Order: sequence, then C-alpha cells, then structure tokens
Amino acid sequence: MKGTNRIPAQVMSGRSVLRGWTYLLLAILAMLFSINSANAQQTVLEREAARVETLRRITPSIVCVMDPKGQGGGSGVLISADGYAISNYHVTSGAGAFMKCGLSDGKLYDAVIVGIDPTGDIALIQLQGRTDFSFAIPGDSDQVQVGQEVMALGNPFLLASDFTPTVTYGIVSGVRRYQYPANTFLEYTDCIQIDASINPGNSGGPLFDIEGRWIGINGRASFEKRGRVNSGAAYSISINQIQKFIGHLKCGLIVDHGVADFTVETSDNGEVRVAQVSALSDAYRRGLRPGVQLLSFADRLLTSANDFQNVLGIFPDGTRLPLTWRDTDGLHNATIRLRPLHAFQKAPELPEERQQKPPQDPEHPEGEEGETDKKPDQIPDSLKSLFVARDGFCNYHFNELHRLRIVNALKERVATFGDPAPAWVITFANAESGPRLTGELTIAATGVGMSLNNKPFLQSTVDPQLQEESPQLPGLLIAMNQLRRLLSGDAAAFTEQLAAGRTFQLPLKREVDVLLTREGVRTCRWYFDEASALPVGVDVEYAQGIDEARLLFADWEDRNGAVFPGRVGLISGVREELRWLNIDSVTVRNSSASEEKNP
Amino acid sequence: MNMRRISTRTNTVRHQLPVRRQCSIFGWPGLEGEGPQPRGFLRSAQSSPGHPFVLIITLFLVSDICQAAQADFQSTADILKSRQQTIVKLFGAGGGNLDSYGTGTLVSAEGHVVTVWNHLVGTGYLTAITADGRKFAVDVVGTSAEHDLALLKLRTAPGDLFACIDLSKVIDTDPGTPVLAFSNMFHVATGNEPVSVVHGVIAARIPLEATQGRWKFPLKSPVWLIDAITNNSGAAGGLLTDTKGTPIGLIGREIRHAASRTWVNYAIPLTTLKPVIEALMSGKKFDSRPKDSEANTPMISDQELTAQFGLTMLPNVLERTPAWIDAVTKGSIAAKAELRRGDLIVMVDDAVITSVTDFQQQLARFRSGDRVSLTINREQQLLPVELLIP
Repeated sequence: MKGTNRIPAQVMSGRSVLRGWTYLLLAILAMLFSINSANAQQTVLEREAARVETLRRITPSIVCVMDPKGQGGGSGVLISADGYAISNYHVTSGAGAFMKCGLSDGKLYDAVIVGIDPTGDIALIQLQGRTDFSFAIPGDSDQVQVGQEVMALGNPFLLASDFTPTVTYGIVSGVRRYQYPANTFLEYTDCIQIDASINPGNSGGPLFDIEGRWIGINGRASFEKRGRVNSGAAYSISINQIQKFIGHLKCGLIVDHGVADFTVETSDNGEVRVAQVSALSDAYRRGLRPGVQLLSFADRLLTSANDFQNVLGIFPDGTRLPLTWRDTDGLHNATIRLRPLHAFQKAPELPEERQQKPPQDPEHPEGEEGETDKKPDQIPDSLKSLFVARDGFCNYHFNELHRLRIVNALKERVATFGDPAPAWVITFANAESGPRLTGELTIAATGVGMSLNNKPFLQSTVDPQLQEESPQLPGLLIAMNQLRRLLSGDAAAFTEQLAAGRTFQLPLKREVDVLLTREGVRTCRWYFDEASALPVGVDVEYAQGIDEARLLFADWEDRNGAVFPGRVGLISGVREELRWLNIDSVTVRNSSASEEKNP
Repeated sequence: MNMRRISTRTNTVRHQLPVRRQCSIFGWPGLEGEGPQPRGFLRSAQSSPGHPFVLIITLFLVSDICQAAQADFQSTADILKSRQQTIVKLFGAGGGNLDSYGTGTLVSAEGHVVTVWNHLVGTGYLTAITADGRKFAVDVVGTSAEHDLALLKLRTAPGDLFACIDLSKVIDTDPGTPVLAFSNMFHVATGNEPVSVVHGVIAARIPLEATQGRWKFPLKSPVWLIDAITNNSGAAGGLLTDTKGTPIGLIGREIRHAASRTWVNYAIPLTTLKPVIEALMSGKKFDSRPKDSEANTPMISDQELTAQFGLTMLPNVLERTPAWIDAVTKGSIAAKAELRRGDLIVMVDDAVITSVTDFQQQLARFRSGDRVSLTINREQQLLPVELLIP
C-alpha cells in the first residue's frame, strides 16, 4: 500500500483499500489527461510556429502575374534562381508576350513568356533583372493523401497592392481527380482537389504541403449557384505532371498532350478493357486488340477508364510509355509513343476571352478588373530581344537557345562537323551470342550500303524506290543515314531542327534532352544526356504504320579522325528486342570516295 | 460471386473525447480551447462513493485513452478511407437548377441508405454507385417530410454486405468541434473514385429558418451550422463526422437563410435522425409532404408585375392559365433579362410553375436585389434566364 500515501490526507479518511486503489487510479487518469492536454497544447503551438516559419520561407517565391499595363492577371511561382516561373495558361494567355510580375519584396519585374501547355493550363514565364530569385522546392504529388493539410498562396482578388501573397489553408479533398475540358481545351487530369479557398486571382498560384513543398498549381474550381467565388472544391494541377512538361516549356514550345490511338472502357466487373484500336498504331502492331484487359499504363495500375485518362493526361505528346495487358495468351509488355492531341500551331484562344463581360463559364478563376483602355506598349528593347514569334512555337528565342546549346556542344566534339560530305566505312559484328552477324556499312551522302554476312542492302538518299532494310537489323540503314547527317553538321541536311524538351528515355530509363530533326518524311528524336555532347540514342519515324528505327549509342570514341560509337544498340520491331553491335573499325573517306558502290 | 466484396461494419467509434485531442490530427485554428468533458467527469467520479463500479469505469477509460492515443497516430488517411466507404453516389433526374446527382450514406450492412428528401428521391429511377464502383437500382423505403429525410434501399443480390455507419454509435457534440464532411459534391468522383472530403468546424447549434424557392426547411429542432462550404451541389445526404470519423450529422440541402438570404451550410444531427431512420426501417410511415395552402400566399400583382418588372402576362382566365408572357416593356428588367412575348415560364429557381398565379406567388418569395433563375420554354427549347428582382 505504498502508493496510497501519495493521495492527499483529506481524501484518505479511513476508507477501504479498494477505495485507495480507486483514487490512485483516478490520479493516474488525471495525470494522463493533463499530460495529454499539455502535449496537445504544445503540439498545436509548435505546429503553428513551424507553419509561420514555413510561410516566411516560401513567400518570396510567389509571383503576382499581371498584363503589361499592370492590370488584371493571376498568380505564379518561381521555380529557379534565374527567374523561371510557372503560372496558368489561362492567366498568361490574355497578356501577350510580356508581363509585369510583382514579388513579395514589393518590386515589379518584367517577364517574358517562354512556353505554354494550353491543354494542361500551364505557362512558363521568365522574370528578368535578377539571377538570385527565391524559388519553390517541389515535392512528390504521388505521395499526397486525402486529408493532408495544404496551403494555397496567391493573389485572390488582387488584394495586396504590395504583392504580399494571401495564404489560404485547407485539406486535400481528393486525389487523382479527372476534370473534363468543359467548353474549352483545358483538361485537368490526375489533379489534386482541395478545400482551401481558391478565388479569382489565385489562378496559377502554387499549392504547398504543410512542410512547404510545392505540390501543385491552383487553376480551377467548381462554381455553381454561388457566383465566381470559392465553394470549397478547387483543383490543383499536380507537380508531377508539371515536372514532365518543364523541359519542353523551357524550349519555347507550344507543348501538346497525347493520344494513345486506342480507347478503353470500364467493364461491369471493374476491369479496364480496350474498346477500339487504330490499325496504324504502335499498340496494334504490338498485338493490342479490342476486348483485352489493360492492366497498367506508364507503370500505374488501372481500375477504371478514368484512371487511363488520368495517366494519359500527365504526359507530353511524343512520350514513349510502357503498357501491360492480358489476353488469352497471357501477359504482354510493350511501349507505345503518344501521338499529338491538338497539334496547335498558334497559342489557342480561350472561349471566355472573346466574351465582353466577365466569363459566363465560371470554371476558371481569373482576376479581371474591368476594361483596360489600350495604351501603346512600352517594352524596352532588351526585353523585346527575348521574344521571337514563329509558327508552331510559343517563343522561338528560347528554342534557339536550347538548340544551339546542343548543336554547339556537338560541333565542338565532332571533328568532321561542317563537312557536308564525309563518308564512313564501318565494320561490325554482333556482340551477343547466337548466329554470327558480321557486316560492313558504307555511309555516304548519296546513300547507305550494307553488306551483312555478304548479303547486300542499299538505301539511296536520291532514289525513293531504293530503300532496302535487312530483316535481321531492321531500321539500321535509315538510322545510320540520319546519323551521318547529324554528325556531318551540314546545315542543309535537315529541313528543320529544334529543341524538343526533355523526356524519360526508354529503354535507357533516364532523363535526356531531345533534339528533333526533320528531313523529308523522316523525323528523328536525338537523345542527349548531360554527361556527353554526343547522342545516347535516336528514334527515327519514317512512315506511318511502320515501327520506328530505334538506335542506342554507347562508348563514343575517336577513330581515325571520326567520332563514332564503339557500340550501337538496335531496338528492333514490335518485339522491341535490344541487340548490340560492336563497331570493329571506322574509316573516313573523302567525298570522291563516297561514290563507290557496295560489294 | 460477390463473396470477395463482403465488407464489415467499421466501428472505430469512440466515446466523447476532449476536443483538444482531436485537434492534434489537423491542428486547424480555434482548437486550443479546453475540452470540458474530462474534468467534469473526474469531478463527478470523485464525488461518488468508492465502489468497484468506479474502478471498472476507470480501467475502461484508461484503456480507452490508450486506444485513443493510438488512434491519434493512426493515419488520418485510414479514417477518411473507412468513412468514404460508407458513402454512395446517387443518380436520378434533374434539370434547371436541380442536380441529377446526389449523395447517400449507408446505415445498414444490408444496403439501407439515408439521404435528404429532395427532388432526386422523387424521380422514380434512382441509382446508386457504392464506393467499390458497383451500381445498384434503388427503392425508396420511406420518407419523413418533417425531417427532410428519405430512407432508400439498394436492390442487392443475396449475400451483399456493405460498410456502413453504425447508428448505435452516433454522437452529439458541441460548437467548436472540428468536423469532416463527406459527399459527392459537384459530382467530382465517378465510379469507384472516393468522394470528396472537406474540413470545417461546427459553428453553432440552432433551429434553422431557411427556404429553397417556395419550400421551407421543416425541421424545428436544432441543426449544426458549419463554418465551411459543405452544402454544395449534390452534397445533400453526405456524412458529417468528427475528426475520428464518428458520425454526427447528415449534410443538408443547398439552401438560403430566410432572413439574410445567404447560403447556409448545415447538417441535421444524426442523434435527431436516428429514431426516425429506425422507425422508417421498421416500416413506419410518416405524414406525406404538407400541401402549400394557396389562400394566404403573398403574390406579385399584375400591376406590380407590369410596373416593376416590365412583364405583362397572359390574362388569368382559366383555372390554371399557363404563365405565358404577353408583353415585355422596353428597357425594363424583363427586357434586360431578354424575356420575350410568347415565352412560357416553366420554372422559377427549382420550383416548377404550373400557372400564372403560381408564377406570381413564386416571385413574391424573393427580395429586392435577388437574382432569380427562370427556365423558359421558347420555341420548344428550354432556356435559362436570370432575372433581377426590383
């Protein structure tokens, strides 16, 4: 009964032992409660202090985006020290090429449009005048859970004349939401639904988790009877989607979304079934047929047709994605390339822009503050030089920057660069075991010839009828022909060359820069990783309904004055098997020698 | 066939807990206040004589606290997921301002669903989609106009069981309680997608005087007012819980307060509805919806209609003369709304207009400055028109 003497004397009035135990227990209980309440109080205060600190840290990255006259607009968020900032397409589309941006330091900065993703409602701009902007640190939106706390920052109703952003707080109401393109082309896929207040002017502003990690861009809300103000259901474009587009946006492109060339439906028993497949598609050639069950797309499991739309919508056009399906023969894995959805040649106009009065379609909150009388724009020349209009581009100036970055590095590395007619003779053998393959390739300006195990194949660049390919190494000749063009550095070798953003290359499984070249009907995607000025691979599209010629390049080395890969990997045909060829010798010939024919 | 889908009741419900503990999950503002329950309980326990009963209660409470403490660390996401499982997406017929979708809350493992007795319930071909994406036809078991409540039953196959809220565990609570509202507002979720959840705090417990068109909110006993926008399109019939997922209310309609004309966000306490739901489940019938008495209903006179609105209606010569527009005065409010001679007014907000008298009575329910949405029939097409009340 040692414990009982801890109970106050007035309570211990000679009652039973049981009574003593009861009070002991009550005392413990009271202690538990008080500890618990003290902890809770402490926790709340600590959390509040942490929140205040987080906001202090992230606030300088918030941008108030306005048109050149400093009127109307929305919000944005800085993503790098050199002034790149993300906003909504529907915020920047009315402003033109140049904008005024206010930061929480109270200062106004000039900004230029860089790239747009009209379908995904994303725009990239660049603020000028500093190289030490504060910027937001991205999180992982795939980890976002329903119920988690979030903060939205921006300039609702353009409240702050000193550009200090407004903070609204809420929870995640839903994840992986799909919002149809209501009366417009703007489509919100795989987005985050929040109950934080989102009002006109919040558009383009960032969503943060409670730790201050940037997880989305707030751009859309459900409005109905109550007018164009917060109704507790707003939608944020996920950071993981935006990240897949930033490389493209930085290249000054009008980035498109993709289609898969097949449709799906949810069956009654909750399976995703293929409904229709285009006979000209990658998917069809790889065996995908109506009725088969689709299991995963881009490595995400599918339980409904909406799931499929959600996955499809987060990738830029041209991305190659893995697909898994099941039919009577079992499981199948393949990759397919997304085809263009809209193929905009110019920045598309939003329907509501054309309306005189504030938008009738209230799905997109914008801060529109009345009519603005048009004054002649006063854009400084230094800013004007950052914008070049060109069909098919948002701002060609930025494409030129990135194209030259890739091409100039190549130029420095390749000795024959700029020689319009080098010719190479290359001998090779297959690297893997199996039937021995040996060959000799002659790559010249007029064509590519190959002798494979003494069998001749010839492709002419002048005669469209002469386009042979070896069934054992399909696509090798056409891709080698394109490689000669690239390494020759001949300005006339391609009708078009442009920087096409960044992609996650398959089968290399790493992020690479893409240089796109066109020559006749042949479109090449050259892949460059940061470690090397030389390409790590190329995919050549050369005819509709035929698989791309796909090569990987490894072990680049200088050989007899030519830079050439030591190994070439060929991903052949619909089965997508990768086979490596060892390049045994490379000989450079002068122009006249290139006239010699193959054996 | 449906064996693998059998799910059980999820009884994570606990006794009333101090408000401050609940805040540690979310930490949203205004939660630092003292929770009065534990102290009050301790006092009453100490004043009672020593008795084994007290010991048992105490032991029980200690274990309860331990569990509650664990629940604090149990992921919020798990609580939300288990509650989202009890919500069904309802689909019926709508039109004009009336949504064709709604929300229901499962109250029995056999597939009983409660929702608000709104237009959706009366459409005759209601369907429900459960959280796992299965679709069911729905029968109306019973309704109570007084409680604005409808009890539905999914037409299930034998052996189907559903996750549901446990009516025996619903609790009463106080203003200041942080709450979660689960509903398929705006029809955001489709198929097997989880419904939306928003957070808020109970702002008040008051009798509600509110109207929706000509319809008056019938319940006389108090409801929960919530400080968040919980009552959106399609949200009626959703579930209000505390942050532990304990059911406390049924989300009501999109409705305006009678005096202020502002939208109110309310939920009917489940402690109020529980006996009604149980009565309906046992087959009891309540009075049907009371008829509006037309005699003393205020109305906008013909003269007022012409002078203030610029609307002249076809003369009321029949018992039920349709609400045809005979003339529109130039520059009037009616002209600004682009109303024309020959338009037939079929709806005012969400009330169907059966006669010109009906129309004049409906208009009288609004106040100056209100924007009323009319649905008109013009050349066999239904058009929405917004009219400003002068």
